[in-house]
Amino acid sequence: MSFFIYRNNLIHAGMAAILSAINIYIVLSLEPPNLAQGTFGNIFYIHVPVAWTAFLLYLCVMISGILFLTKKDKVWDRRGLAFAEVGTIFMFLVLTTGPIWAKPAWGIFWPWEPRLTTSLILFLIFLGYFMLREFGGNPEQVSRYAAVVGILAFLDVPLIFLSVKFWLPEMQSHPQVGQYFESSNPLPTYLLIFSFISLLVVSSLMIRLRINILFMKERN
Amino acid sequence: MLIHFILKDLKIEWRSKEIVTSMFIFGLSVTLIFALSFQVAPGLIRTFAPGLLWVVILFTSVLGLNRLFSLEREEHAMWCWTSAPVDRGIVYMSKVISALLFVLMSEILFIVPFFIFLNLSTNFSFFQFALILFLGTGAIVSVGCLISGITLQAGLRDVLIPILLFPSASPVAIAATKCTESLFDQKPMTEWNFWFLILGSVFVIFGLFGYMVFNRIVEE
Repeated sequence: MSFFIYRNNLIHAGMAAILSAINIYIVLSLEPPNLAQGTFGNIFYIHVPVAWTAFLLYLCVMISGILFLTKKDKVWDRRGLAFAEVGTIFMFLVLTTGPIWAKPAWGIFWPWEPRLTTSLILFLIFLGYFMLREFGGNPEQVSRYAAVVGILAFLDVPLIFLSVKFWLPEMQSHPQVGQYFESSNPLPTYLLIFSFISLLVVSSLMIRLRINILFMKERN
Repeated sequence: MLIHFILKDLKIEWRSKEIVTSMFIFGLSVTLIFALSFQVAPGLIRTFAPGLLWVVILFTSVLGLNRLFSLEREEHAMWCWTSAPVDRGIVYMSKVISALLFVLMSEILFIVPFFIFLNLSTNFSFFQFALILFLGTGAIVSVGCLISGITLQAGLRDVLIPILLFPSASPVAIAATKCTESLFDQKPMTEWNFWFLILGSVFVIFGLFGYMVFNRIVEE
């Protein structure tokens, strides 16, 4: 693939692979903080950074949409699409790892936790976004429509989150998050940050590769 | 100019009566289906009634919005205002007001049978109920008109409107259901005015956003 013939891209891919491998090794080998949750407790170090990455990518979709509508530069449309695609893959991972963690923590797969529910609603809006991209008709018009949907989706985030949070006020946020953060032990915070950085490296590689493919498609 | 656009929609509806009539009949049919489905457990109807009411309103709104914007496609009617020196944000505002009027009219017609079929008591403030209906419907149509505008020239628009609208309008569905539920349970308004705030926020935020971006969505 022409993308990987460049040294910078190869280094980027190598870094992503090494950081991911270390991250997975740490998560699998670490002593879980809560024996009741068993090994599933460690999914915290994957689920939370994946969610941060997904929301960050959706924020980038909104920013790309605003820049595309104001500058009318096709570059921002390609970036917006790439952010949306990679963001949706990460959001799918959030919706998969969330229930896996919820089952041992709460006893049910879907507890209507506000952040998880917000993720599901955003995921559904973005499925509509891809349908619009695919079946919307004239590509030039579709780019404009998609930019607006990308902005609309992120504008909806605080409203969805507040609605779901107050809809079920008895529902606590992430299960027993406090147990991971003891003031005497800063390791969980470092691990969380490391996991987030490794996911940022992976997602940025995916985005760059996707933008490259979209650019090649348009040029041909 | 805003008044002219609203009068145009009202005049078309006055002559054809198709939007309000179709929304009323559809709303009545969905109410009938709900009433029949819940005959197995009549005691549960009162618990679910607020949610059912907003499901009916959301479904009928989709029907009305679809038809209201389809009028602009017939005989390429929209080219009249896209080629005129008019701020298209005004067109969006006129559509929000027209849609709000049409949906409210159809609600007035099917809400009476809704209460009769589901055997619901009416021991609550009608003024507060009217306010909830106004704000909830306004929030739905402000998001709905934006999405209908996006899909105005898109392919598969009949499918795309509900796919994009339902998740985007989920905070409205939650807030409006909570308001109606609290009203039916005769709780003091101070306990549920937060949900009013959510409805008002969606109405204002998406109303302004639609006004700002409609110029960029609809182009010749």
